[in-house]
Amino acid sequence: MSDAPPSPTHESGGEQSPRGSSSGAREQDRYLPIANISRIMKKALPPNGKIAKDAKDTMQECVSEFISFITSEASEKCQKEKRKTINGDDLLWAMATLGFEDYIEPLKVYLARYREAEGDTKGSARSGDGSATPDQVGLAGQNSQLVHQGSLNYIGLQVQPQHLVMPSMQSHE
Amino acid sequence: MFTKQMISSEIPMLMSKACEIFIQELTFRAWMHAEKNNKSIVQPCDVAKVIMQTDTMNFLTEIIPNNLGDFSVFDAKEENIANIAEENEVSLSFTAGFMGNPMMKMDSEENAGNIVEGNQATLPYTSGFMGNPMNMMNMDNVRMK
Repeated sequence: MSDAPPSPTHESGGEQSPRGSSSGAREQDRYLPIANISRIMKKALPPNGKIAKDAKDTMQECVSEFISFITSEASEKCQKEKRKTINGDDLLWAMATLGFEDYIEPLKVYLARYREAEGDTKGSARSGDGSATPDQVGLAGQNSQLVHQGSLNYIGLQVQPQHLVMPSMQSHE
Repeated sequence: MFTKQMISSEIPMLMSKACEIFIQELTFRAWMHAEKNNKSIVQPCDVAKVIMQTDTMNFLTEIIPNNLGDFSVFDAKEENIANIAEENEVSLSFTAGFMGNPMMKMDSEENAGNIVEGNQATLPYTSGFMGNPMNMMNMDNVRMK
């Protein structure tokens, strides 16, 4: 009946930073693209599982809250230690502090693989979004195997960082 | 007041992967809840239930709409089969005039189908409620945004 809520199916949030505008941030800047979220959700379900549209919207809000939650904790730690740059270890520490210890192991493995791939292609990997696709594809199987060996309940974790662009994080300096 | 902070180049990549794990964990748990209620569609109420039941997800309780919270209260009553029939009768009459709980109506519909006659009863109930939940959900979405 009424108009459907605007949900961008393409990644368009990276162009403007919410901090740059004094007025209220647009929805596409506050949330990750719902198509990407939907795809990730489906990986956690068996073939007969379906996801209601509203559940995807709820997940969109949840994951944005998750990012703020973790980042705020990491940011506070950096401020206390009078450092200006939040690094990977700060992020991992924040997750452990906030109850997501189970995430640390797979993320460390992923980080190690990422650094190996980064070493192979120095120039493009540094830019962040320029990660080489062949390397990522090659990493997918390894990460999945390692994660399963860790006896985590996640189904088929795959490496697709280029599909998730977080607008508020896009400050390359 | 707020000192400008920067992030290292590995943060976007690391946070992306963390978000993937988070989404899949939350979705998988919600699926478990949906399956427990013989449903094959993950609904917001399933996600809300997981958030309330899982300690590490407590930081999300503030962003869950109130009507989904009411839903979990209703879900708790489902555990007693003897009460389900009575709750359905009450819920149906309540949801008819209670615009704040569109999801509850759909859930009642499925329960009624399961309790009364299974598949045969489900179809007429579904056809009867087909338009209303969507309308209410849309209105609810508009109000929330």
